[in-house]
Amino acid sequence: MAGCSSDEVGPSASPSAATRGGGGEVKIGEILFYLWSFLTIGTAVAAVTLRNLYHCALTFAASLFGVAGIFLYLGSEFLAVVQVLIYVGAVTVLLIFGIMLTRNVMEKRQAVFNALLWPALGVSLFFFVFLSYSGWVWKEASQGRGGEGLFSDVYLLGPILLRPEKGFVFAFELVSVLLLSALIGAIVIARKEEN
Amino acid sequence: MIPVSHFLVMAAVLFSVGALACMSRRNAISVLIGVELMLNAVNINFLAFSRATGSDSEIGFVFVVFIITIAAAEAAVGLAILLAFYRQWKTADIDRARMLQG
Repeated sequence: MAGCSSDEVGPSASPSAATRGGGGEVKIGEILFYLWSFLTIGTAVAAVTLRNLYHCALTFAASLFGVAGIFLYLGSEFLAVVQVLIYVGAVTVLLIFGIMLTRNVMEKRQAVFNALLWPALGVSLFFFVFLSYSGWVWKEASQGRGGEGLFSDVYLLGPILLRPEKGFVFAFELVSVLLLSALIGAIVIARKEEN
Repeated sequence: MIPVSHFLVMAAVLFSVGALACMSRRNAISVLIGVELMLNAVNINFLAFSRATGSDSEIGFVFVVFIITIAAAEAAVGLAILLAFYRQWKTADIDRARMLQG
């Protein structure tokens, strides 16, 4: 699994370079996009179906890394960096700590999926058909706008979040309080009770 | 130029894989992985739509920032609940979480 994630380090730098270079390099960028999303989906499927939870966590991290590359294709470098920092860095480490703290000795013999596997497969197949059909027939409102139409600048993020006329100030403060209370609540829940 | 629909289809695949994990895995950590995969698919959708539509393209960006924040909080709280559950029942199998069923 470590080899799986290290394979993906190679093309990670190339999407941004390929999308920024105009002309003939765009073709290479497009081919790399399909390869990249294939790797992302493949590691996501591995994270869902593998038996060993460590392998699940590592392939999950590789898949999140792939999503960061997709963010680069969509023209937001800041979110790609945030994705690598928060998801690949923090959430994966949290998950691995969770796996190590809750290791079950009987885990080897148990089934990976519960009795709802086939209905769940049907429902997720329905999700896939419905969502991908409605995405496939989506007509782009303004054809020909490049990825550069989206602002790719960190300097704009502060004014958007904090200027009152943009309307995100209250949500920004609320999400800060939510994050603080969630972290304190996590500590309180996970703390060992002393009787 | 990659069309937006390709991003949408890719996010649809990611979302259904996450939904499958969320519905059918037995271990709670795998369910958390599925939830995070679904949230990432939604993030890709937000960014793709904000690239595709015209003037207010920063709205989707801000939503993705909020979603990432809330997903981090959700992972922390979910793992704390998992630890408390494991301490009580000595298993991470969430099919065993039937205390509220009566």
